[in-house]
Amino acid sequence: MEKLLAIINEIREEAGNSTIETLASSMDLREDLHLDSLMLAELTVRLEDEFDVDIFEDGIVQTIGEIIVKLEGK
Amino acid sequence: MEKAFLVHNEVVYTYEKLLTDLSNREICSSYLYVMNNEPYEVFLTIVHSLLFDYPIELLDGDFSEKEIGELGLHVEDVLMISDVMERIHFNDFDEVVQRIQATQKWNVTLYTSGTTGRPKKVSHSFQSITRNVKKYTKLENDVWAFAYNPTHMAGLQVFFQALLNQNTLIYVFDESMKRIPELIEKYGVTNISATSTFYRNVLPYLQEDIYSMIKRVTFGGEKFDAVLEGKLKNIFPNAKMTNVYASTEAGSLFAAQGDTFEIREEHLLLVKITTEQELCIHNSLLGYSDSLATDDMWFHTGDLVEMRDETHFTFLSRQSDMINVGGYKVNPLEVEDLLIQVPGVVDILVKSKKNSVTGELLVADVIKADEVDEKELKKEIKQFAATHLQEWKVPRIIKFVDELPSTRTGKKVRK
Repeated sequence: MEKLLAIINEIREEAGNSTIETLASSMDLREDLHLDSLMLAELTVRLEDEFDVDIFEDGIVQTIGEIIVKLEGK
Repeated sequence: MEKAFLVHNEVVYTYEKLLTDLSNREICSSYLYVMNNEPYEVFLTIVHSLLFDYPIELLDGDFSEKEIGELGLHVEDVLMISDVMERIHFNDFDEVVQRIQATQKWNVTLYTSGTTGRPKKVSHSFQSITRNVKKYTKLENDVWAFAYNPTHMAGLQVFFQALLNQNTLIYVFDESMKRIPELIEKYGVTNISATSTFYRNVLPYLQEDIYSMIKRVTFGGEKFDAVLEGKLKNIFPNAKMTNVYASTEAGSLFAAQGDTFEIREEHLLLVKITTEQELCIHNSLLGYSDSLATDDMWFHTGDLVEMRDETHFTFLSRQSDMINVGGYKVNPLEVEDLLIQVPGVVDILVKSKKNSVTGELLVADVIKADEVDEKELKKEIKQFAATHLQEWKVPRIIKFVDELPSTRTGKKVRK
């Protein structure tokens, strides 16, 4: 979770946005974190570099919790 | 109830309103450059140009002043308007459709990222841009989810298909993905045409349900994704799925079920495959462009294909130099030429990174000046790019390197 938060903050910071303090499993990537498709693409590439898991491989990821499951289930 | 022409941001624009606005419009312009690509204004302007038979050049409302400059244009000229020469009162929309189909001088010009240097202009007549539009009585109750940028080729295809059949357009292009299921239900959407990227992003919000009223699902602008198609078939069980090959140069040319494209009988002599397996299209099928004027009669698409039989082919690879980010073609050279201007950047290589969300994404390898802080420079590069370029042209991940690979002729290696 910490590593994920760091990556999301890196994306936000480089895009000139403020960082966030905490992540919750229930957070929706699009609705709560306001990630558009380009940001989601960036996130998936960064996570793949770090964890070697393609979180969008089967297309269905909506929340932070679902990412965690995919990263842990590798 | 009056028939809706367009629904955007909860506002319903009826055909009645469109008629009134067309009848009352007092201005015209040679360019369309609408802030935020506000769809009603975009469509109204296009229909007006058709009705009064004057040519129009479409500029993406996302273009920055710098990008407009690179097209060889000035923002002041682009925004110049003049009074209309005449005004006509239109009583019903059939009259409008008839008049549109009788245009003589009208053409529409689009700008496409060329593989070298300045973007090129391509102009299409009404006939070439509506080549694949189908107009039948049985289509008159279609309701379209409009999921493309309205100033690009794919958006125009859907727009004309809907307009000429007097259908309703539900504008979902800049809509929150979460609201799309509700919009489909509320307005009874029957047809969707979108890029694979769009479908991948809306999928999480659709998969709880089955949408049986959707009768046609079209893929355009990107490489076909068979896994995605399989998933969409579960959600839209009654939909016929089609994959369209279209380009700014040629408009809409081929359609496929799955990944096998068909060459229509009337085009058999106008399409050829070279010995290197490159797909070539006869000039007569293209829009007009100075830069397309080749000495032979064939336009080389840069796409490699394999023939399956006399009339069917599949793609081996698409236009090698261009990077396709979620359905938008980006010329990496254009991005490099801009970002090399950022202070602290010594050299830059922009390339593609494959991913399951947008197909490809721009990433950059940068050689930086010694004294510059990495974190700060990343921010500056991204902000400079975001200010001057459309958002899909912004490299999302920047890595610092000591040297960039190049070929013996000094060309950068983009792999």
